[in-house]
Amino acid sequence: MSRRLTARDWYKDAVFYEVHVKAFMDGNGDGVGDFVGLTERLDYLAELGVDCLWVLPMYASPLRDDGYDIADFYAVHPAYGTLEEFQKFLDAAHARDLRVITDLVMNHTSDQHPWFQASRSDPTGPYADYYVWSGTNRRYADARVIFVDAGASNWTWDPRRNAYYWHRFFSHQPDLNYDNPAVRRRMLDVMRFWLDRGLDGFRCDAVPYLVEREGTSCENLPETHAVLKEFRAVIDREYGGDRVLLAEANQWPEDVRAYFGDGDEFHMAFHFPLMPRLYLALRLEERRPIVDIYTHTPPIPPACQWGLFLRNHDELTLEMVTNEERAFMYYAYAQDPEMKLNLGIRRRLAPLLDNDGRRIELLNSLLLTLPGSPIVYYGDEIGMGDNVYLGDRDGVRTPMQWSRDRNAGFSTAEEGQLYLPVIADPVYGYQAVNVAAQARQPASLLNTMKRLIAARRTSPVFGRGTIEFLRPRNQKVLACLRRYGRETVLIVANLSGAPQPAELDLGEFAGIRPVEILGGTVFPPIQVTPYLVSVGPHGFYWFRLERPGDADEPYGIESTAI
Amino acid sequence: MTDRLQAPAFPAEVERQLEGASPCEIAVGVLTYNNATTVPTVVEVVRTGLERHFAGIPAVLINADAGSSDATPDLLAAAGLPLVRARHETPLAQRIAVPFHGVPGRGAALRLTFAVARRLGARALVLLEADVTSAGAEWLRHLLRPVLEQKADLVVPVYARHRYDGTLTNLVLAPLVRALFGRRLHQPLAGAAALSARLLDRLLDDPRWPAPGQNQTDLWIEATAIVDGFAVWEAWLGRRRAESRTRTADLPTMVAQAVGGLFAVMGRYDDLWLEIRGSEPVPATDAPVIPSVEPVALDVDRMVDAFRRGLRDLGAIWEHILAPETLGDVLSLDTASPARLAFPDELWARVVYDFALGYHYNVVYRDHLLRSLVPLYLGRTAAFVVATRDRDAGAAEAHLDAVGAAFERHKRYLVERWR
Repeated sequence: MSRRLTARDWYKDAVFYEVHVKAFMDGNGDGVGDFVGLTERLDYLAELGVDCLWVLPMYASPLRDDGYDIADFYAVHPAYGTLEEFQKFLDAAHARDLRVITDLVMNHTSDQHPWFQASRSDPTGPYADYYVWSGTNRRYADARVIFVDAGASNWTWDPRRNAYYWHRFFSHQPDLNYDNPAVRRRMLDVMRFWLDRGLDGFRCDAVPYLVEREGTSCENLPETHAVLKEFRAVIDREYGGDRVLLAEANQWPEDVRAYFGDGDEFHMAFHFPLMPRLYLALRLEERRPIVDIYTHTPPIPPACQWGLFLRNHDELTLEMVTNEERAFMYYAYAQDPEMKLNLGIRRRLAPLLDNDGRRIELLNSLLLTLPGSPIVYYGDEIGMGDNVYLGDRDGVRTPMQWSRDRNAGFSTAEEGQLYLPVIADPVYGYQAVNVAAQARQPASLLNTMKRLIAARRTSPVFGRGTIEFLRPRNQKVLACLRRYGRETVLIVANLSGAPQPAELDLGEFAGIRPVEILGGTVFPPIQVTPYLVSVGPHGFYWFRLERPGDADEPYGIESTAI
Repeated sequence: MTDRLQAPAFPAEVERQLEGASPCEIAVGVLTYNNATTVPTVVEVVRTGLERHFAGIPAVLINADAGSSDATPDLLAAAGLPLVRARHETPLAQRIAVPFHGVPGRGAALRLTFAVARRLGARALVLLEADVTSAGAEWLRHLLRPVLEQKADLVVPVYARHRYDGTLTNLVLAPLVRALFGRRLHQPLAGAAALSARLLDRLLDDPRWPAPGQNQTDLWIEATAIVDGFAVWEAWLGRRRAESRTRTADLPTMVAQAVGGLFAVMGRYDDLWLEIRGSEPVPATDAPVIPSVEPVALDVDRMVDAFRRGLRDLGAIWEHILAPETLGDVLSLDTASPARLAFPDELWARVVYDFALGYHYNVVYRDHLLRSLVPLYLGRTAAFVVATRDRDAGAAEAHLDAVGAAFERHKRYLVERWR
């Protein structure tokens, strides 16, 4: 028996942490974060309580799209370190029971990739069909343009090959041709290369776009699912089923559902539509957006899991909301035009919420208690700010703020050498917001996050339980039951900035005394009549509903078991 | 990385104390954390024990404190014995929720205590628990004499206990330690101990000191001593009564910490046990103390109920942890009547080994894995009570010996699946 033969659905209980190598810690003093630095900071992550690191692209790349333009799938970008240093990082993470997945861009490569260079220069050579070429730019006209701010077409003319090549993202990112079996074989070899080193899986970037067909949107096609299922089957067969594949498919839940297949495609997929609705619910001070999206979320196979997040390295995407909702979100969260990008808002969690500690904690509480595995974006655990005046999405990718030392303790380089300037404004600047300071304050966001994550660990109900919304008359209060086996947890959240009462129909639990998990407080027993709770501004409760006899009476061996 | 840990440099205030301290032959280590109500009793035991049994031998008291807020260290200082006081690092989580052994950061406390003892030239170090109020002056003699006079290197206590005291120790920890390391220690997590200078030096030099916060250190010390050929003894001490306001009393937490600690040691130090076969008893000072007949109020029906609930609710987790045949055998156990519940030793060994393997391979979240062992442990305990409650103490001892033998017999099952 080996680890990879037995471990299976660990991802269902895990808390993920999204980290950019360049942004976390600079180990060699050149101003760019690297694997040596990241390795040094693994103890911090272990203490935070997360279980799996999602490492953003670290491959060799011209970095025109922050590493999502890969020029060599088999090499680590020299600024981030060497393959050997990556291996040391991976082993050190495993030694701390931290798993690691990395981004893998499946849909396209950099135009600097040797495959593309060969493909454009030799239309009859072995790489000729590695990409999607055409003599006209009118094919696949029904496919939308995703990066609306970056170009008007999915085709770009290549003068060397005298043909157009297809790209769903930037023009320097030509799409691979998955109709070509050689491409599928080569990409599987790429995955094997990293899995053989012990990697625990991949966050697969931009998976809906692998295959193109005329007369379609070229998204979510059956042929694309067939490719993905083929990959999953090979990885399961060769690596025993404990490696996770996480899909980035920015689609509606019913379309994302197909990426789970019958439990034979992706293990996990992001729940994109939930995220903006958490912000909407908070701003509207009503639970409807959250409850609604769950009524539109289809069930998924038992071994599968949603990935939940509040923010990530991209803009806060508003593709999955209605036009009215998008307008409201812009009004509420992005009044400065600089804050908008594509169909989204390029801000971090804390600035989005006006640095209001109660709202930040409330959204994190929802992140950790709704069905799925939560993903924390680096720096959000301390409430880092952003810099909307940096280009593209760089404003949310600034150096991690470790201390009030020079360069926020991130690097010993000269300030001008840093890959991006540290946040230095009076509210979110590193002098005010940093790990060292928050570690010393018991009530800091960092320590609150540790407590919330630790509380989540106490029960599998959070990662595995069902969800059932209660319908108190007060719309400002969200209340739901999570059930798994004999465990039931009641979550109550006040979405409003004023104290709120709510009457909860908990008749089936009559006689039970709810125990508030975070503080251990025992509340008055539930009656058959509605249970009255009052919740402070943006407050929340996690109650464990234990039936009498579950834990009250001793077995007689507790005090002397050891 | 723990591999890179160096022997600790003493904090400045400890260094100051050491500069003025006289050399000693005996060091008495007391690890404390908010033990103001009980520590005077322990100090009195130390004073009397040293006067009565080791008069004229230079001794020093070493107090490693985890950050008490109730003036515990001051009470120790008031005893008037030569004293070195040290405050050690403690994981925040262990200060908030104190582990079963009562000492947040116990590993760091032990390391610091060992280093101070050797710096002062101690030939032997005896460790006493700060909240155990049943200790007597003779405990020092029982623990220290084998080290000072009979070349023992590690002396571990055996307390006189009712047969249903220490069920986790008797049914999980001791059988596992026996099978893994080849010694039949009765109580591997006894808290107190005595160590020779030779063993202290060996441990202090070890670059693989356990990581903090995982309750591994005591078990690692025993394993290292056994495997490296140090003389490991047991000392029968009588009854042990702890009056603690801080140690966790939550059964699942205790199980997770104690069993998790042993599983973690198995994973990190598998070179210490994979090759060992068979077992032998541990030499003991004095005669075994007859276990107390004081009855323990057990609720077998509730234990069986908890086991049944586990069978009903935890299948989804157990199927990741237990081998299919093990799970099948567990699900086939007859739980209809608590009075008839039987849990074969061989099956129990496979269950515990599957959990160890599941922990090793991280098949489910480790905390969930450990906590999901609790209903199985309660079922096994209930079966033990059912099998022995109408029989004498000797029969109960024989029953437990058979459990240990089953673990030993089936160790191959574990080893074959480990690699």
